[in-house]
Amino acid sequence: MHLSINAYFNSVPKDIYAHISDQELLDKFKRDQDSIWLGILLQRYTLMLLGVCMKYLKDEEAAKDAVQQVFLKVISELQKYPVDYLKSWLYTIARNHCLMQLRDKTKLISVSEEMNLADEPSTNLSALDKEHSLILLEQSVNELNAPQKTCVTLFYLQKKSYQEIVESTGFSLLQVKSYIQNGKRNLKLLVAQKMSQS
Amino acid sequence: MSDFNNILNHGAELSDESLKRYLEGTASEEERFMIEHQMTDEAFMNDAVEGLQQFKDPKVMQDLVNKINQDLLKHTVKKKRNKLKHRIEDQKWAMLSIIIIIILCILGYFVIHLAQNPTSPNHSIEQKK
Repeated sequence: MHLSINAYFNSVPKDIYAHISDQELLDKFKRDQDSIWLGILLQRYTLMLLGVCMKYLKDEEAAKDAVQQVFLKVISELQKYPVDYLKSWLYTIARNHCLMQLRDKTKLISVSEEMNLADEPSTNLSALDKEHSLILLEQSVNELNAPQKTCVTLFYLQKKSYQEIVESTGFSLLQVKSYIQNGKRNLKLLVAQKMSQS
Repeated sequence: MSDFNNILNHGAELSDESLKRYLEGTASEEERFMIEHQMTDEAFMNDAVEGLQQFKDPKVMQDLVNKINQDLLKHTVKKKRNKLKHRIEDQKWAMLSIIIIIILCILGYFVIHLAQNPTSPNHSIEQKK
């Protein structure tokens, strides 16, 4: 992207409601039945939703139209049903909308399944449990397969960027992302296993 | 040891500005790590970044965001206005109904009053007889 991008981004008005959380805005909407609150809330996700629609539709105008249609659907649905995890729900609606547009035969993922993909409430471990799991985590890293261990170590422990990992390991970007994601998942499983054994 | 926390922790929420700086390639090391951490944790963030990276011209991307936000604002304001209009119309009919009921009550009162205390001259003559 060009350096001149700042000029365009600076023209965007700052969110004067930034101090209000998503949940508070949703509550305000439910209480007042005023869709203005929804407008403020949804604007926070415009850029990300545009990115998601662009990824699937590969066309700028089509992506814009898709986001607008997603917003209309969201406004109408939110007046009917309560939504607990707005962010992941928005993502699911946008992705399903794009997949439907592509008339792909891919099985659509239901909202309940998708909840795990984002906004997952983090597990509240006690300080003692956390310390214990950190020790187990350190031990478990060595049990990962070589590519996962390398990528997890470079990414989480040495804080290298995706690009730097690609350059130093020779893996493709897709492989790097996959090794990090799977490595993290395997680490959590290993720690959980060890915790249940001890 | 503290670095292992990164594996356990969920990526923190980030602003659009950080995301734009990341796309632009001017994000700080910390911002870059936070975004990529979130991309690892959330399919939403990963898809969003991959999609936004496909925009060749950042101006087009920002124009589209502005256009979508403007339309969203117009839609929500219009919805609010319609709701207000409906409410006023509902109130108008309620007010009209109240006025009609009051008028009917007053008329009813006079009819009953006249029936109980007739004051017509013929009626008073007959009463005197």
